[in-house]
Amino acid sequence: MRTSRREFMKWVSAGGISLSLSHLAAAEPVAFPARETLPGRGKLNPAIGGVGRVDGVAKVTGSKLYASDFRANDLPGWPERTSHAILVRAPDATHVYLGMDLARLSGALKPTVIVTAADLARINTRVPAYYEGDLFCPVGKTPLYMGQPVALLIFEQFDTYDRARMALRDGTFVQFGEETGPIVMPNYAAYRFTRVAGATPDAPDVYSPVLAGWVTPGRTQASALPVWSSTAHKNEAGYEKAAVYGDQIRAEIAASESSALVLDRTFDTQSVDPMFMEPECGLGWYSAKDKALELVLGVQSPYEATESIAFLLGETKAPFKPSAINAQFAYVGGGFGGRDHTPFIFYVTLAAIFFPDRPVRLAHDRYQQFQAGIKRHAIKMRSRMSVDRASGKITAFAADHVLDGGGLANFSANVATCAATAAIGIYDVPKVDVTTVAEHTRGVTAGSMRGYGSLQTMTALEVLIDEAALALKLDPIDFRRRNALKQDGRTMTGNPYIVSVRSLEVLDKLEQHAIWKQRAAEKARATSGILVGTGVACVTKDYGTGGDSSNGRVELSPDGRIAIFCDHVEMGNGIGTALANRVALHLGSIADEVAVSQVGVFDALELVTSGDCYTMDQKTQDKAEKDPRWVPSISSATSASIGAHVGTHAAAEAARVIFRFGLWPAALALWNIGPRDPRAKDFTKAQWKDGQLTMVGLPSLPLAKLAATAHARNLVTGAVAHGFSRWSWARARFPINGEQYRAEIDGLALRRGAGKFTRINRASVLFPPTDNNRMGTAYTAACGATVRVEIEKATGVLRIAKAYTAFECGQALVPEVVIGQAQGGFAMGVGYALLETLPPFEGGPGNGQWNLGQYLVARGSDLSLRDVEIELMPPLTPDELPKGMAEVVMIPIVPALLNAIHDAIGHRFAALPVTQAMLKGALA
Amino acid sequence: MRAETRVKTLVVVATLGMSMLTAYAAGQGASKGLASPESFNGIADINARSAAIFTELGKVLTHPRCVNCHPAGDMPRQGDARRLHQPPVTRGPDGHGTAAMRCNSCHKDANFEPGRIPGHHEWHLAPREMAWEGKTVAEICAQIKDPARNGGRKVEDLIDHIGKDTLVGWAWAPGYGRAPAPGTQAEAGALVEAWAKTGAACPG
Amino acid sequence: MTTLGITINGQVHAPTEVRDDLSMNDFLREYLGMTGTKFGCGAAQCLSCVVIVDEPDGTCHTNPTCVTSAASFHGKTIRTVEGHAKNGELSPLQKAFIRHFAFQCGYCTAGFLNEGQVLLEQMAKTPVPRAGLEERIAEALDGHLCRCTGYFKYHEAVLDVILSDAKRYLIQESRG
Repeated sequence: MRTSRREFMKWVSAGGISLSLSHLAAAEPVAFPARETLPGRGKLNPAIGGVGRVDGVAKVTGSKLYASDFRANDLPGWPERTSHAILVRAPDATHVYLGMDLARLSGALKPTVIVTAADLARINTRVPAYYEGDLFCPVGKTPLYMGQPVALLIFEQFDTYDRARMALRDGTFVQFGEETGPIVMPNYAAYRFTRVAGATPDAPDVYSPVLAGWVTPGRTQASALPVWSSTAHKNEAGYEKAAVYGDQIRAEIAASESSALVLDRTFDTQSVDPMFMEPECGLGWYSAKDKALELVLGVQSPYEATESIAFLLGETKAPFKPSAINAQFAYVGGGFGGRDHTPFIFYVTLAAIFFPDRPVRLAHDRYQQFQAGIKRHAIKMRSRMSVDRASGKITAFAADHVLDGGGLANFSANVATCAATAAIGIYDVPKVDVTTVAEHTRGVTAGSMRGYGSLQTMTALEVLIDEAALALKLDPIDFRRRNALKQDGRTMTGNPYIVSVRSLEVLDKLEQHAIWKQRAAEKARATSGILVGTGVACVTKDYGTGGDSSNGRVELSPDGRIAIFCDHVEMGNGIGTALANRVALHLGSIADEVAVSQVGVFDALELVTSGDCYTMDQKTQDKAEKDPRWVPSISSATSASIGAHVGTHAAAEAARVIFRFGLWPAALALWNIGPRDPRAKDFTKAQWKDGQLTMVGLPSLPLAKLAATAHARNLVTGAVAHGFSRWSWARARFPINGEQYRAEIDGLALRRGAGKFTRINRASVLFPPTDNNRMGTAYTAACGATVRVEIEKATGVLRIAKAYTAFECGQALVPEVVIGQAQGGFAMGVGYALLETLPPFEGGPGNGQWNLGQYLVARGSDLSLRDVEIELMPPLTPDELPKGMAEVVMIPIVPALLNAIHDAIGHRFAALPVTQAMLKGALA
Repeated sequence: MRAETRVKTLVVVATLGMSMLTAYAAGQGASKGLASPESFNGIADINARSAAIFTELGKVLTHPRCVNCHPAGDMPRQGDARRLHQPPVTRGPDGHGTAAMRCNSCHKDANFEPGRIPGHHEWHLAPREMAWEGKTVAEICAQIKDPARNGGRKVEDLIDHIGKDTLVGWAWAPGYGRAPAPGTQAEAGALVEAWAKTGAACPG
Repeated sequence: MTTLGITINGQVHAPTEVRDDLSMNDFLREYLGMTGTKFGCGAAQCLSCVVIVDEPDGTCHTNPTCVTSAASFHGKTIRTVEGHAKNGELSPLQKAFIRHFAFQCGYCTAGFLNEGQVLLEQMAKTPVPRAGLEERIAEALDGHLCRCTGYFKYHEAVLDVILSDAKRYLIQESRG
């Protein structure tokens, strides 16, 4: 099924034209793209010399950057006044929704427009499949989940809105009738991952997901959980095969209880909120005459957001159907996954569509953000492990995971599979069987959040490993080392990693660190009334999703200034600076115009797509790729730690093309090197030094001179590139200047001199095989932590005395940013282990009453800031590509803390968080 | 049939309304009352009567609205769940906060309802010697009578302090999301007066 | 309605009538369009919303704006993040935040800048000993929540500003 670019959506992006905006007078609003393109031509650029970020100046001066900063009068061409909307949500999901107490919003509090389910039905909106579920709960139905919206109230005036929201906040505005109990929905997903290794490491696996495909149990009855056993009524053949092996593994574990160490443990993790600092917000304006919908949003998935909004309105009745949608995307105040694929964007859109000609702002306050924002899945895990006593080797592992997916499906299926395939962490286990099911509940929707399921399962694992080591009287690090997967070893899905596997190095670092070495001595010298313990943990986390795409556009001006456009998002991750640094490797200089979260500036590629890149079969892909414009997916969300590896890839490749076909021929011309001179092909030997291109025996050439020459000679001065990765990059050939240029991209457009971008038809392409979808992951980065804690017996107060984490991420594009992320990950891990928790259902945030008084996130005083050491290991080889690390750095501190607590007090907690009250209780 | 259903629905709505409200909107609803001094007249022994009156007053003194700012330590508590105050604040040298975080940075002269924040121009922590957190009503009684620990007051002074002081009075009009102290300030004052007049005995 | 007359970043704003129930945060962000001051929680628990209040006696302190009425700022002189740089020149603290990569998403940065600036000015008025300096910084900043950074580099940046200009901020040990 091939679709062309949807007809009703024309990209009228102001971004394409206003890049070189000169400084405007203060009275005139600066165009949005100019605000978001940083640092800006002629402005101070801290990234030069590596002394700051490209967005550094903007962020310390309070410049308008975030979606929540913008009002209508900040946007040129928009009407002056901003109106405001309230999204009314149901704080109950077990009673029939009857309507709203609108009587309390009369007179000075009256909304101008109210939008309900009936209105959406009337205008024929469509909900994209991913977001299936009523956008508004209709009257007469029980809400699907706590916090499900029931209506939009739109207020012309801010003052009316400000007063009205006071009348709504106690939750009684939304009225309910009879009790029905919660809505029951089928599970979002269920999978079983089984692997049986061959007799020797080199022998093929007897059974694995990579060989057999992923399997799902049948839905043969309407029960809460599937029937997993191989004897289930009416299993499909594919599933049954896995189940036979899986059941056998479990039987073997049970049978080995007398001879081996067998541990059978549960571990429960809690729901938490990403608690990014900027609540979700958006601005919309629908100009009825032009049928043009303008949006300003802050999301992690700009392309998906635009597509989804287009789908929402794709068949709406006039006058509710725009003929053009211009969505612009702002910097975001934190994301952590919580701004990836959230339904919030639909409500911004609807507010604009139902309030034509008047810009509307929809913003969550923090109570609403807690009520509605995407949460981390709470997971109940039961894990069984058998360890051979003589060798200390794990012979088999089985686990059952049940995830609370909350009210909407969102990413639950993916999180479940990611959690499952991470369940054996850094270890090489020849027999593994993991079942996972993600349930619908009436709680707040769970979706993408830093760690994406693997945080939960690897925490449980590293606690189990700790217990096993102690039971076997083996050194905890030595036990891990014995069982660690080596470079060529196979993961749970049956494939090896294709990047470096460095968990052994991380284990060495942990073992050699003073915190670990001094653990006995520190315990011995504990002061009276204080219990001291040390813990360790080592994990490895995938980055990438197996279907990632990257768009990058780079332009070189005649005076040597560089502009970069990228589809990935800045949420603190420093993508702008990473882009500038990576492009500088090819073009010698740091860009002074970096525009991120871009959607509409890659049109020159004329890309088309179809199908689902994650589930497509080889035949379909082979057929589709014959169209030189076809790619398996156009643009990815910024998630899965892909900013460095994926987000900067296309821009780097575009820069490489500019160098090869623009600056290099310009250099040859300036050096008077003719085409038959052998040095003409020596482009890999040239090096950038301080903004000058150098080659042995030749004069250095400054970038500005090269750029001027390239422009004057109509050489390539700009490129747009697209890349796709399914655990390896797609590769293609493009005819340029009479040669076949090969690169790890699948789409390319070039600009010569001051001309327009024109697409180059790819001559051939090699997409990664669809079978790669059977891998759980092929990319990984390792991180370990060791921590010493001091627990006050009388009170249960825990203090982190010292902590150390070590991690590797290939080439760090911006080392300071990477360290910063590791520090932030440490803090978030501490909060997750010790402080943060959200009760499910009625006592939880779905009731609309939660804020930071109840939800405790780590403060500086919780973290022992001067006693935390973070080590960024150098890349394994100088040319090792960047790896994603933003998630892995949050993980090991969590089990390390639990293991330290056990070491201190002799009690092993089997659930999170471990709060002061719980410690006090355990000590009593 | 339809009328019955409607009645049933309304009844359920009302019931639901009540249960929904108690958890977090108690500030809006009616609080439990305080017994009047006269209602203790049935207790013949004057000491026992006095102690019983104080025990009734104890419902006010041990209520979160009071205990949250009469903490045992140096940090106030917050809310009906009595959690530690967020953001973290400490009493500082004068009970009005540290230099970086004065109480009146946030807590102004009156409740600010849009911010759901309580206020009074005297907002501060009770001195350490007036801590009630974790104490029994009997212990609070002994403390509240002791001039060394009650700010040098005679028992009679407590009548106006509890019955009329406006900071104390805030406990009965605490703003959204906070349950008011039981009864009314006048009722509490009356209990103090009756307790004082019956010899200010403490429960055993 | 109440009259609000206020000086912001040295600019005197003509008295205007504001609703009693208008928060200072909304006054800055909705009425004046000064969105450098952020909204994080609306409950004074994250302190993204604080501004600097300059007292007549020359001292200053931060003040949340989300739980306080605009009216309560009548007659006051305040500074917001937009006012730290003078004539395009960033303040030492702003430069230090950049240099140290102190922030990531940047949403809490205005609050940290205001708090740090107040601390620096207090120390400049009344220098403190070197001993216990890190604790002082930690105590001053602890009310501010950050979700990206773990606070490490914010503290380092403030410390760097102080130690780089020790004569101004620290009690100088006399060598006798």
